[in-house]
Amino acid sequence: MSNVLDRALDGAVSTYAVSTQGLTKRYGDEVALNAVDLRIPEGSVFVLLGANGAGKSTALKLLLNLERADSGVAEVFGLDTRRHGPRVRAQVGYVPERHDAGYRWMTCDRLLKHVAAYYPAWDQTYADRLIGALEIRRNRKIGGLSKGDTRRLQLLMALAHRPPLLVLDEPTDGLDPVVRKRVLTLLAEHLADSPTTVLITTHHIHEVENLADHVGILRAGRLVIQVPREELQRTVRRYRLDLPDQWEAPRDLVIPAPRSGRVREVQWTIVGDERAVTERLTTSGARVREVVSLPLEEAALAFLPDEGTR
Amino acid sequence: MVVNIDPRDARPLYLQIMDEVRRALVVGSLKPEDPVPSVRELASELVVNPRTVLQAYRELEREGVLYVRRGLGTFVALNTQPAGDERRELGLAVARRALLEARRNGLGLEELFTMIREVAADENDLAAEAPLTTGSNST
Repeated sequence: MSNVLDRALDGAVSTYAVSTQGLTKRYGDEVALNAVDLRIPEGSVFVLLGANGAGKSTALKLLLNLERADSGVAEVFGLDTRRHGPRVRAQVGYVPERHDAGYRWMTCDRLLKHVAAYYPAWDQTYADRLIGALEIRRNRKIGGLSKGDTRRLQLLMALAHRPPLLVLDEPTDGLDPVVRKRVLTLLAEHLADSPTTVLITTHHIHEVENLADHVGILRAGRLVIQVPREELQRTVRRYRLDLPDQWEAPRDLVIPAPRSGRVREVQWTIVGDERAVTERLTTSGARVREVVSLPLEEAALAFLPDEGTR
Repeated sequence: MVVNIDPRDARPLYLQIMDEVRRALVVGSLKPEDPVPSVRELASELVVNPRTVLQAYRELEREGVLYVRRGLGTFVALNTQPAGDERRELGLAVARRALLEARRNGLGLEELFTMIREVAADENDLAAEAPLTTGSNST
């Protein structure tokens, strides 16, 4: 096990499990994905964040060739997904956005046999363990499964063949808190046992906060940032400031909100190099009382549109 | 050893894990030659990326706090002296947190000292007044 991780830490991460160039997708007049250059290093856990409709699920579907891009290229392990759709999908464990496992007439057990036959790497011992851990009732009909039941089945099918790439679209959606926690624990164990790259989208950043080592943020179809997680946290700080009565914000500094009235004490999250930001604030006459770094979720929020104020 | 990580803490996770191992050494819940949890166990328990745990263990290995026995796991080094550097590191971290909190509330250093002494003295007084539960069987 440790060898897998050792290699992951030692090997200069120069290869990408996923890379796209100029990936673009339109639905009618609407641009769902706009010239996206995604780079997901092999062995990383990459969390793709964004508001609803920012293009996260579209990006994942294009990677698996479940939908066609209007322009641009997507590669998974060096394979062009458009030309090698089936080969790409064979190497990917995918939990789709939709809670729909298809084959409504089959029992879970029948579907699992069907899926196991499709993947040469299917690990039945592991599958049995997951069936227990995820409490999957094998004799239930797929058509009668609840949203949460379907999610568990989808997770099992994605993990049990230990694919080199996991693509998880809101993997804990529809699950109760106990099962959510269990799924994330299973994922941590999975990563310790198998060399895997993970691409995950979620609205619950805090859930995957400690698993993620890379973060990408989509905003209205554009990838506005993709960085190692520590770098994201380094570039965002929260400043507590005392402002003089007559104060104007430095022109080249993006502050979250204009100062209202005669407020003297403010707390702002600002993107930029800490020293440069502090210097600019100080020259402008503000007194920087405190600078704190933020947890991943709050750092990421600095890049997401605040829907309340738009 | 109990390892706690704080999602509100913006320090990198591997540093938090390193500090928790140091803390366990200082309070004595981890002693020389004790095994530490495997990377998989700790990753699973904390729901963190196993690479983060490995990174923390690697750093502690480099510092001579932990060592790996091939095929057996990771152990606390025999010559680790928790009383020295580790204690100092922990103390400095506590001091930094106290100072930050004081500044946030507009307190100066001397004021903070005075208050800490006052609170500690009060607690001592309370302890003296309270009936000692261990007193009856002392010699």
